[in-house]
Formats: sequence, structure tokens, C-alpha cells
Amino acid sequence: MKSKAIKNSSKNVNLLIMLTVIMLFQLICAATLISKCEIENRTGIIITFGVYILVELMYFAGARLILKRRGFEVELIAFLLTGIGLSITASVYPSLAVKQLIAALIGIFGFIALQIILRDINLCQKLRYPVAILAFGLLVFTLVFAKFTNGAKNWLYIGGMSIQPSELVKVAFIFVGAATLEKLQSNKSLTKFIIFALGCVGALFLMYDFGTALIFFFTFIVISFMRSGDVRTIILVCAAALMGGVLVLNFKPYVANRFAAYLHVWDYFDSLGYQQTRVMIYSASGGLFGVGLGGGKLRNVFAATEDLVFGVVCEEFGWILAAAILLSYVALLVYSIKHARYARSSFYAICATAASALMLFQAALNVFGVNDVLPLTGVTLPFISRGGSSIMCCWMLLAFIKAVDRGTYRYGGVRQ
Amino acid sequence: MKSISRRALILYLLIIVFLVGSVFTYYNLVTNSNKWAMNRANRHLYSSGGFTAGDITDRNGKILASTENGVRIYNSDEAVRKATLQTVGDGAGYIASGIQTAFKDELTGYTVIDGIYNLKRYGKGNDITLTLDADICKAAYNAMNGQNGVVGVMNYKTGEIICIVSTPTYDPLNKPSTEKEGMYLNKFFKGVYTPGSTFKIMTLASSIENLPNLKSMTFDCNGKNGKGQIAIGEGYVYCSGVHKNVMIEKAFNQSCNCAFATLADTLGAEKLTATAENAGFNKKMPKINGKISCAKSTLKLENSSALDIGWAGIGQYTTLVNPCHMLTVISAIANGGTAVEPYVIRDITTPSGKTLYSMQVQTIGEYFSPETAAELTEYMRSNVKNNYGDYRFQNLQMCGKTGTAEISDSEDAKPNALFTGFSTNPDYPYAIIVVVEDSSFSIKTAVPVASKVMAAVKNNKELKNN
Repeated sequence: MKSKAIKNSSKNVNLLIMLTVIMLFQLICAATLISKCEIENRTGIIITFGVYILVELMYFAGARLILKRRGFEVELIAFLLTGIGLSITASVYPSLAVKQLIAALIGIFGFIALQIILRDINLCQKLRYPVAILAFGLLVFTLVFAKFTNGAKNWLYIGGMSIQPSELVKVAFIFVGAATLEKLQSNKSLTKFIIFALGCVGALFLMYDFGTALIFFFTFIVISFMRSGDVRTIILVCAAALMGGVLVLNFKPYVANRFAAYLHVWDYFDSLGYQQTRVMIYSASGGLFGVGLGGGKLRNVFAATEDLVFGVVCEEFGWILAAAILLSYVALLVYSIKHARYARSSFYAICATAASALMLFQAALNVFGVNDVLPLTGVTLPFISRGGSSIMCCWMLLAFIKAVDRGTYRYGGVRQ
Repeated sequence: MKSISRRALILYLLIIVFLVGSVFTYYNLVTNSNKWAMNRANRHLYSSGGFTAGDITDRNGKILASTENGVRIYNSDEAVRKATLQTVGDGAGYIASGIQTAFKDELTGYTVIDGIYNLKRYGKGNDITLTLDADICKAAYNAMNGQNGVVGVMNYKTGEIICIVSTPTYDPLNKPSTEKEGMYLNKFFKGVYTPGSTFKIMTLASSIENLPNLKSMTFDCNGKNGKGQIAIGEGYVYCSGVHKNVMIEKAFNQSCNCAFATLADTLGAEKLTATAENAGFNKKMPKINGKISCAKSTLKLENSSALDIGWAGIGQYTTLVNPCHMLTVISAIANGGTAVEPYVIRDITTPSGKTLYSMQVQTIGEYFSPETAAELTEYMRSNVKNNYGDYRFQNLQMCGKTGTAEISDSEDAKPNALFTGFSTNPDYPYAIIVVVEDSSFSIKTAVPVASKVMAAVKNNKELKNN
């Protein structure tokens, strides 16, 4: 009894220290922003950070004191990253800070709500078909009604609001893919999921949203493997996809043209390589510690707070913090792999690994894309890029990761 | 559950790939950050008005380049701007060896650790003080009087280069629309010239070292119509005068080609090359302040005929010298044989006043033995005293050697005129090199330029104080 009490108190101290450090960081960012911003934006920024920090405090206080939860690694990472993203958005677009905050709050609400739904596996089983149909329907709807924006047809405008349905479908995709208990290790149970996945990836392809299509395809591979363990089928699917990809590039050369600058960005300095070269130039200007929030120049380049946000982090916060962000995504996946072993059900194990692998893969596409290590596909950096749909999706994906921890639902008492 | 958790392990592979990619990205960033940050598109450094960086001043604190309100400004005197352009460099990076290009990191205060943070904090980078004296550069520019070529002056005891002028030049504040050949080139560092008779200094040095009876030798220089000639190998080397039976001192004074071709022939390729290579020929000079590389001076005599070696001994054939290297060679003679490393930057200070770099006098090596250097000094002193005239270099006890280098076989091609020498007056420990391109006899063109520049050195009060 005694040793357990000590262990608990040390956990509390850890949480307190971590929380204090993260909040201190957010307060410094807020103070910097407030000191530099125009008068008319000041209220917005104060509200944004005030509410954000308050919600953060309430979340941890409630989870620790009321729900008696232990282990907050996942949320600490998410709150830290969201805070960085919020700081950059508030710095570059002060007037959009509140909007981004609201999206983050909806995401956090979704995170909590999804955890409650995930608790009931039977419910998840029942919801699987409706969610699949809804998700695919949403993509088809987008395909039909969306207009081209920046070369891709992936935005819906509803009453002044713009949403990116593919982000929400990511959550549904994992939910549908993982929510199966029957005949876990057979290929037959995969067939329906393969059809669903094919439909989603195909729709995204037709929207010219190749980055997201690739993310879906990757997630599909992860889920299929986790479910069947069948390497041969997966290699077959990959080969088919590769051939399909080559065919598309052959018949639609303009698709290939979009990636012509890959590995030659300095030769396309003012055209196709514009964004990548600017990211490199300004990342290099930042040094280990950055030039300070608000002091950067990359922010003036198109999509700085979305696709190029990693460059803004390097330039303004420095390379060390940028590396910490990269390690955050790794930490989420490591967390999921570790907890998959003790998961109450394979459903949770698949959900968590798929969700965290998706985020890591997306981070890789984003970061390596803007640094010309991979072709630039224009996907967002999880939690940090500006964009309501994106931040909501990330928080909801986090619910999958959180659900794998036995401590979350307090089955089996002591957390492993 | 077991199978699921086993399958999950494969995701570690994904993590490894991600980490390898991240390390690769960071490796790229760290190794290229300097190049990337200095890119012209970096708005931290470049704006429509030019280049935000620290000041470049001459040795007396005169501003040569500075940034005011984001606009790059230069010295207020047009002649100073033109005279120092190739050394200071342009903001746009056309002049690669210019300080503004070669020392961009220092001027912007860029470091891999801090990025361009210093530039943000202080509004400028580090300041660079050159060893140049703006007034002497201006005097040299004026003395060139529109002719193309090079003037370099260096303190032969410390290696401080106090004057570099490379023409054609232009005004960085009023760049001409048409480009002239060589206007982006600092010929003092990057140029090579056929040395002509100035190379006789090297032939003489080799003779002093290898021919004990040099002073008793007589040389045959006979011919018709005022042109001497001597048979070497399978042909003739021609002389600009008929010096009859001439001894070494007079032969050097009057720059007798026959005498020096004979000496080169007597020495042979091996000995002549050994002397030249000991004095830095065929080798790279140390980079100036660690960054600016000089072109190589070359003497290549492998498989050359006796006649070619004869021509090489009088600074023709394929012999080439770089002005900065040649000035270092002459400085070594003045300095008792020991060459000092040339410098163009005296110190670099941060905006907070900390000294990042301060020049240290360094020797490169013993180019000549002290005895050879002393003898060469005597012969070169004799040249000025007996031939060029002490009146041109009053109170300097000048030593020197002229050269008129034929650069083409064509009849109406104009030669390059050269002069190199040094003052033995201990108050003015300076060596000089002058090259005037497409000129005539050096005594008419290069020597007057040298005379004016050395007069400016002598009359410069600030130079004596620091």
C-alpha cells in the first residue's frame, strides 16, 4: 500500500512539472504575441490563450481528480503541439486565432466523446456500417460539389464555413477498419474493408488530393496487416497500387509534372521549388534556437501556416524544438505499440497503432516533403498546421490512442 | 492478443525509417544551412534596397560599406568606391572574392547555432576592418588613370595589404548597363600575368644560389639595328638592346634578355624550377584570411627545349604570375628572405564590441636564404639608383624591377607593363606591384604609377601611426 502511494504521488509530481513547463511555454508565447500584436487583435489573442490554458487545466484537473486517471503522456503531447500551432496561427493570422481555438476545442470535445463511444465495443460494431456509408458518402459528395482550390478538389464550403471532409473521413476510416472482432485472422473479413478502402482512396485520387490518398492507402496497409498478419496479400496490394500509380503518371503527365521539382528544387527556385527552397532558406536562418516568434520571414510565403509550418517552427522556434516535435509523433506510436500488448481487445490495439502510424506517416510526408527528401504532397503537420478540420481529426485520432491504455477505462485496476 | 502485439512490432520499422529520414533532413540542414541562409531570396538579408550586414571599414575607420535603414551604402567618395570595389565586393555577389560575398557569414553574424538571430537583434552583423587604406587605394586608382590592370601594396613585415586596385572597375552606386570584361574580377587575387622581365628576379635568385662565379661571368649580347640576340638551343632569344659583353649587375639594370636567357640555359630547368617552387611557384598560396583563394603562379619546364627554358628565364614562354603571390615574393626579399602571409582583414568585431578575429602576423616560409635576399636587394636597389631614377621614389631608397611582357606574337599587340619593388627605408616597409595592361614600355607606364602610389604611401600620416 505504502509503495503504491509513493508511486502515485511521483506520477502526480511528474504531471505537475510537465504541465507547468508546457503552460509556461504557452504563456511566454502568449506574452510575446500580445506585446507584438495590433491593438484590435489583442482581445482575440488574450481570449484564445486564456481559454486554451483554462481548458487545458480543467482537462487535467478533471481527469486526475475526478476520474482518478493516471498517465497523461498522450494528452500532454497533444496539448503542447496544439499550443505551438495556435501560437503560430495567432502570430501570422491574429484574426483567425479564435477560429482555430474553437476548432481545437471541438477536437478536444470529440476526443472525449469518442473515448466514451469506444468504451462500448458492441456499439462500435453496430456503428461500423453506418459510419462507413456516411464516410464514403461524404467523399462522393465532396467530389461532386467541391470546387478546385490550389489544384485539389477537397474543400466543402457550407454557410461560410470551409471543411475538408477527407480529414473527418480519416477518423471514420480507422474506426471502420478496426471495428471487427469476427474471424480476426482470415482474409475473408478483409474483403469488405478492402472495397471500402479502395472507394476512399479512389475518391481522393479523383480529387487530386494525392497526399491524403497516400495517407489512406498507408493506413489501409497498417490496418490490414494488423488484422490478418498476411504479408503476401499486402505485398500484392502494394504492387497493384504501385502499378496503378505508374499508370496514372503515364496517362496523366500533368500529375507527374506536379512532382517535377522533386530532388531538384534549387533548379525550380522560383517555380515548382519555390515553397521547398524558401522552407530551407528560412529554416537555416533559424539556427538551434530560432529568431523568435513573430520574427520570421517564411510566414509571408503561401501556405506558411499549413503545409510549410515545419519551416516556420524551425525559423522562429529553432531546430531543437522542431526535433522535439518530430519525436512527439514517434512517442505516440511507441506508446501505442507498447500498450497494444495489454489492450483489452484487438480492436483497441488496431485503432491505436493505425491512428499513431497515420500521424507519423503524415508528419513524414509533410516534413520530408518541404525539405525535398520526399516529393511535396501538401499535407498538414498533425496538431500544428492551421486548419479546423485537421486539428479536429488529430484530436479524435488521439482518442484511439488513448483507448488502448487499460488505465483509460480502468479495467483490470492497476495500469501496466 | 499475442499475435496483434507481435504484428505491432513491425511498426518499429516505420519508426526507424522516420528517424533515419529525420536525421538525413537535419544533416542536410546543418551541412547546407550556411549556403541556404545566405541565399539571395532570404529577406532577412536582402531587401529591395540591398543587403543588411555589418560595416566594412578601412584601417582608419573610413566606411567602405554599411547598411542604413536596410539600404547598403558605400563610401561617399566615388573614386574610393571604384578603387575598393573589387576588394569590398558588390552586394549582389557578382564579385565572388569580394569581402561582401566571401565573408557574408561574418558580416551577417550568421552562425549555425544562432542562425541570423544576431542580425535580428542588432539590425546588423559583425563589422569588418580591412588592412586597406582608402586614401592609398584612391591614389592608386587615380594613378592608373583609366588604364586596366592591378596595383597592390603590402607591408612586407606584417603582410597587411594596404592597397588593392583592380581595373576596369565601376561605381557600385551607379552600375553601368554594359559590362566590361574583368570588372567583376579582383585581378590582384584571381588574375595571372606573363611576368616578362620581372621574372628575371627569380632567374637571378637561382643564379646567386647555384653559380658561385656569377659576378665574374660576362654575357654575350650582340646584334644589328639595336637588337641583340643570343643562340640558345635551336634558336635565338632576342634583346631590346645591344649590350655587347655585359656583366651581371648591368645586365640586370638594363634587363638584358641575352644574359638572363643564358643564365636560365646554364641553370637548367631543374634548378630554376627548384628556386621558383621554393618561393611558392606551382603551389597554392594560403587562402587570404582563410577564405579568398589566389590563382597559382606557374613555371612549367618539364620536357621544355633549351630555347623555351631560355625564354622562361626572362619571364616569357608559359611562365605566369599572380600579382598577390608576386607581391609576397618581393616582400620576402625585402624581409630578408622570409615570406609573410598576406592579409586583407585586420579584425572582425561583433555588434556588442567583442573581437571575433584579429589578424596575426604569420610566416609562410623561407622563400630565399637571407644571403640571397640581401644580394637580390642590392641588385634591385642598383636598378632604381642607376636606371629608373631615385627621383621617382624620393626618400624611399627604393628597390625594383620592371617588366614588359609580350603577350602575343602579333606585331601590333601591346605588351603588359609591370613594376615590382619595395622601399628599404625602415619607416616605410612596403612592397608594391603594378601591372598596366595593353601598355608600352614599363618605364613609361608602370613605373610612374608605382612612383605616385609610393609617394602617397610616404605622405600618408595615418599609415605611420598604425
